[in-house]
Amino acid sequence: MDNPIETIGTASARIARLAAIRTMLCAIAPALTAIALGLFLEPITEVTWARYGYSLAPDRANALSLGLIGAGIVVLAAGLVMAYRAYRRANDFVAAAAELDDLLECNQEIVTFATLANPAAPESSRARRTPLFPILWRRAIALFGGLDVRREFKLEVGEPLMRSSIFAGVIAIAMVLATLGLVRASTAENREAARLRAIAEEIARSSTSSDDTALANKIRAAADALENPAMPPEEKKKRIEDAMREAKHAAEKRNISESGKNQAAGKSAAQSGKGNGKSQGQGNSSSGSGSGQGKAGTGAGQTVGGNNPGPGKGGSGNNSGKNNGGNASSKNDQNKGNQSNIELQNELAKADAQVETANAKNPGPDSKPGDDKNQGGANKPGDNQKAGGQPDPNRPGDLPKPGANGDRNIPSAGGNPKNNKDMGSNMGDTHLGEMPTSTNAQRFLKPGEKGSPIDLKDARYVMFRLPGAPTSGNGGKTILDTDRPKATTAYVNAPLAPTSDDAPPDERQLVPPRYRDMIH
Amino acid sequence: MGAAPQQVSPDQRVADFRKIFSRAESEVARVIVGHREVVRKLLTALFCGGHILIEGVPGLGKTLMVKAASETLGLSFKRIQFTPDLMPSDIIGTQVLTESDGHREFQFKEGPIFAHMVLGDEINRATPKTQSAVLEAMEEHQVTVFGTTYLLDPPYIVLATQNPIELEGTYPLPEAQMDRFIFKVVMGSPKPDELREILSRTTGTAQNKIQPLFEPARAPQSIENLKALVREVMVAEPLERYIISVIGGCTPGGPGAIPEVSQYLRFGPSPRGAQALILCAKVNALLAGRVSVGYDDIDDAIVPCLRHRLLLNFQAEAESVSSESILEQVIKRLKKPRT
Repeated sequence: MDNPIETIGTASARIARLAAIRTMLCAIAPALTAIALGLFLEPITEVTWARYGYSLAPDRANALSLGLIGAGIVVLAAGLVMAYRAYRRANDFVAAAAELDDLLECNQEIVTFATLANPAAPESSRARRTPLFPILWRRAIALFGGLDVRREFKLEVGEPLMRSSIFAGVIAIAMVLATLGLVRASTAENREAARLRAIAEEIARSSTSSDDTALANKIRAAADALENPAMPPEEKKKRIEDAMREAKHAAEKRNISESGKNQAAGKSAAQSGKGNGKSQGQGNSSSGSGSGQGKAGTGAGQTVGGNNPGPGKGGSGNNSGKNNGGNASSKNDQNKGNQSNIELQNELAKADAQVETANAKNPGPDSKPGDDKNQGGANKPGDNQKAGGQPDPNRPGDLPKPGANGDRNIPSAGGNPKNNKDMGSNMGDTHLGEMPTSTNAQRFLKPGEKGSPIDLKDARYVMFRLPGAPTSGNGGKTILDTDRPKATTAYVNAPLAPTSDDAPPDERQLVPPRYRDMIH
Repeated sequence: MGAAPQQVSPDQRVADFRKIFSRAESEVARVIVGHREVVRKLLTALFCGGHILIEGVPGLGKTLMVKAASETLGLSFKRIQFTPDLMPSDIIGTQVLTESDGHREFQFKEGPIFAHMVLGDEINRATPKTQSAVLEAMEEHQVTVFGTTYLLDPPYIVLATQNPIELEGTYPLPEAQMDRFIFKVVMGSPKPDELREILSRTTGTAQNKIQPLFEPARAPQSIENLKALVREVMVAEPLERYIISVIGGCTPGGPGAIPEVSQYLRFGPSPRGAQALILCAKVNALLAGRVSVGYDDIDDAIVPCLRHRLLLNFQAEAESVSSESILEQVIKRLKKPRT
């Protein structure tokens, strides 16, 4: 025969535990949802917003992520507190008796018994017992006969989980709404910065030295600068140039180490690359590297592209032959390193171009037309020539020729389709240093030359060579002034302001703004 | 049966109560056809120590029912027909000059109020002065004549009747006096089957004799023991709170008063109403074989205990809203506390 007071006490404890568990279940799903959303916000963003051309700024993403994790922890803590309170509230002797009363349908006999026999109640409540109390005691024992508290008070998770899932849904909806308010359509800068960050992450992941870490940090700083609208363009350029310098420095170090390995094979490719890389870095700090690389097929690549194009870029440069003839065992590693470095430098150059474009589009209040400072540090006449690595784009020999020769004259990335990646730039396929194969090259007619007019409508890339101002000689003969100062702007690298037309990026005429008036 | 509590076990006392109550109902039913609820309330009021107001048209057997109950329980019974010229002394008694052994003295001559069961027929026809004389006896269980107080022997119960028709020349009981009745029960007309049975019983030769449950000498004590048992029934605190909430819910402007109460009532029940509820609920619990009160016991008692304690306002009268309908709304809407 069980003591009915113990039975009610057991039921009270069980009811209290169940109440605490149910309360905790209500809180745990929204808490875990918030924490999971916060932890996996980046991959979620990649498969959602990013796919539709939207991006979440890193600082906002971090804030949102931290907010979600914080909210999850707060909900979890609140759940714990509420569970404790629910336990305290439900751990009531008389309330448990009322539950048992309802369960056994005994017309408040158990409640009456509990109020008069509550061990926690003051003595005065026991004084209210009457001579009939023994009947009530026996009645309680009879009512509790065969009662299994565990069986009668089961943990039913359905309702709390349902409620919990509703709360979790609310959290998820709140997260979606918050993200909707925070995401922005990706700009070219955003995309470029994202690529730079990806490269930085890759470098940091495979970091073997402090130089790599420093490089990764520089790249991240450049990416942050690129996205920061408050930062002046000069500062942005400085950051990007820092990163480029660091990248070149890293490349040089790698080449030196590789050359050390390759010395046994009698090759001096690394030295060549080193020299070229230096000269390129000094002469064309921002946008010259792509240009030099693009000229690799014409012989300029011997000076510039020593460490850049490599065999991974289609083997158009001279170095490919050198490397092919070098140490076979180190070739792959070197190529890989070179390739990633090239990619990095290309991205940095593109970032630089973005800054220039933005600066050209939104010149400062003091800017004047032709002010080099406000044009993002565009190449200046003479500088590139002094640099040694920058070929003159207006040299007659550089012009692409119609027909088959044109194909040869334009360095192609088609030799290695793997490298012919479209990185999603708003500059179309014009990856610096990765000029696509020209399949239908045309050129402007020389003065006096006759031929079919060119059709620029479908042209994807237009390269210019500025002719000298024609003068009239004897008998009206036109005399070309070959000594006239030539435009030195690297036509490939020239930053293009985004056009206002609605044409898709591939259809836009990637023509330097200063030459657009020449196209009619 | 009905022995002293110290001699009998609690279980036996409870069993005796149920048995006596049941037998009393059966004995009264020998002469009263139908009206089982009225009979039950009459007996309940007796065991609660209260008085009962019976409202019904003449000829429904009110007097017969009270007489039958008194015979069954072995209690003395007196009937007072209230009329406008009835004086208090006609009820409570008066000093009469008597002469014995050569000298005269005033001797108190008890009025009809000195009985265990008093039927005040058509109490609303008496003047307020006379009514108040009765009502003092009801509440105090004593009468005072010329400065001398006379106690009324327990058990003491007054059963007053009211005729709801022919109200001209009547003196409706004031609210304060209505409050002294533990119940107000309404006797309706008999149903056809019951009427046929009444005719059969009263117009034939057969006579239904009532078997008293107690000897007249022991009856008062036995009934007092049963009344003591009723008061021993236990009530949990949540149920007491429920009763309090019922009283508050029926009081205009009170805590938890429903809109109908504020709309149709001038006054709500007094604390006597709560006492009546608890006592009636205790009897109900005992009749159900329990020694503790349940919510159902209270709900069953609400209408008979409180219907005459609600004072309807003019709007309620105009809209024919009854106090019973308001009480039913209160029962429906009030939450029953669990702890």
